[in-house]
Amino acid sequence: MENKSHNDGVEKNAMSIPGLEWKHEQGELFITLSGRWLLSCPERQQVLRKWQSLIKQARDIEIFHISCTEDVIWDSSLVIFIRNAMGEFELNKKKASLGYLPDGLPKLLQLSKERKTTKDKNVHEGLAEDFDKFTADLPNYFARPIEFIGAVIIACTELVSGRSVMRLGDLVESARKCGASALPIVTLISFLTGLTLAFVGSVQLEKFNAKIYVADLVSLAMVREMGALMVGIIMAGRTGASFAAELGNMKLNEEIDSLRTFGISPISFLVLPRTLALFLMTPLLTLYADIVGILGGLTVGTLVMNFSTVHYLEQTQSALTHMWEIYSGVTKSLVFGLIIGLVGCYKGMNSGPDSAALGKSVTSAVVVSITCIIVADALFEMIFSYLELR
Amino acid sequence: MNSVESNPIITVKNLQLAYGKHLVLKNVSFEVEQGHCLVVMGGSGCGKSTLLKSMIGLLEPIQGEICINGNMLWVDNSHGNKIAKEFGVLFQGGALWSSMTIHENVALPLGLHTDLADKEIEELVHYKLSLVGLSGFENFYPSQLSGGMKKRAGLARALALDPRILFFDEPSAGLDPITSKRLDDLITELKESLGMTFVVISHELASIFNIADDAIFLDAKLKTLLDRGTPRSLLDKSIHEEVVDFLTRNESSTN
Repeated sequence: MENKSHNDGVEKNAMSIPGLEWKHEQGELFITLSGRWLLSCPERQQVLRKWQSLIKQARDIEIFHISCTEDVIWDSSLVIFIRNAMGEFELNKKKASLGYLPDGLPKLLQLSKERKTTKDKNVHEGLAEDFDKFTADLPNYFARPIEFIGAVIIACTELVSGRSVMRLGDLVESARKCGASALPIVTLISFLTGLTLAFVGSVQLEKFNAKIYVADLVSLAMVREMGALMVGIIMAGRTGASFAAELGNMKLNEEIDSLRTFGISPISFLVLPRTLALFLMTPLLTLYADIVGILGGLTVGTLVMNFSTVHYLEQTQSALTHMWEIYSGVTKSLVFGLIIGLVGCYKGMNSGPDSAALGKSVTSAVVVSITCIIVADALFEMIFSYLELR
Repeated sequence: MNSVESNPIITVKNLQLAYGKHLVLKNVSFEVEQGHCLVVMGGSGCGKSTLLKSMIGLLEPIQGEICINGNMLWVDNSHGNKIAKEFGVLFQGGALWSSMTIHENVALPLGLHTDLADKEIEELVHYKLSLVGLSGFENFYPSQLSGGMKKRAGLARALALDPRILFFDEPSAGLDPITSKRLDDLITELKESLGMTFVVISHELASIFNIADDAIFLDAKLKTLLDRGTPRSLLDKSIHEEVVDFLTRNESSTN
């Protein structure tokens, strides 16, 4: 390879791999590149290793010349090679010059030179930078949600005083979307929850010959806890995510900005109808889920445990003599609805300026909503227990 | 380069704008004469859209003042709705409310800010849509319109409250040359027939020379207003290399 052969066979072989030749002349190194300098040539790695060892051997040489043969076949791999070589010479304060290069290659080398931009480079400086950014943004993590809740409270007072720009049609449409449209999924999940509770309970209660109390277990668990919780989780994944995506997309398309320019408060116009709809629909869905869950238990009770429908329902009725059992679940669901609505809308309104940030906001809306629901549920139970309401 | 006329409808004084710690513009002062079309020009990232955001009440300046038709923006919030009626905004993509039809988009500001009867609103919407050549598209949703039609619908909505000032954020962006020219012509016709004041953010040279009575140039490096004048005077007389470079870069193609 060091000398180009004129033998046809050898030349054919030489032309199928990247070629690197050099010669010493009066303290200067002349490098000639030939053959196929293509990214798809696996032999390129050998040539690059050869190049590294050549550079090590040529430490004392001060002047380098790089040129190509006229028949060189090339792609980006040759541009990168020459670019890196020239960069290396510059770094080691060696003189370097370029001889013949195929058409187009000098221009690509020129274009690929790093140019200064007016903007700072987006270099990530590691953990210290992350920490700095986090501490700088820390007040915003608390201030923004509080500001948002404050704006929602103001929008509510405007609604009560009849000065709100919220449209009844938007409220009804949001209620339809998060209420009626959610019935199939709520039915399925609640029925299966009731069914599972009945199965799990029956196995344990059978040991004490108290199988009929499975009706008590299912009904109490559904109305106190599972109905509200399952609806909350469904709403967080379905409606909360949809609010975040919808509002985030509106922000991305400057629709929220255009509302502001018309003096229309996005909180009153967009957030209030959605949150209010969810606040109103979640308790209704919870009551519905309670009934469907009890029916799930009834299915196991009648089909698997061979109770009569009347017997099972009478047992359920006796378990639910205190209406507070039902009210407590409904009270929780009101708060769950409010949490999901506010979190979904907040995440959407504060979404970033691109589609990746929108995806992040939607995910965050679901995660934060579910976490808040579970925390709120635990707090409710503690309060009910403290007030001796259980 | 200062204007000698004395009937400004917009006055911007010593404006300083930033996103958090990142300063975007400083010491920006200019006036816009009533019935004029001012084009804000400059390279990418020079703060044109940021300036517009501040002028339409979406970004609070860290210093300086903006006065629109005698009302100080950002000083007294009670003026909010009053100022909102003074101007209309056409955003880059139209920013139409996607869940509403074109009719509802134009009718909403009228319903919220006026006491007009439904029939009058209906007539006004039809008239505004006719002005921009979208008569018959009342029941279309934004997703059913092309880019140029969205911008025209956005313009009809911006015109809904008969504002005295219209702000445009890069009206030519994303449009083919013919549609872009039509939009420029529409701006000129509206200016002449309605006597409105326009503030247009643009870096399209053909558009700038077509519509501008006056222009200001923002510089990304200095983060400030570098020069102002008519586009022709800036091209002929500006002492700033950046301004001349900007205005000549596509001269051969625009000519």
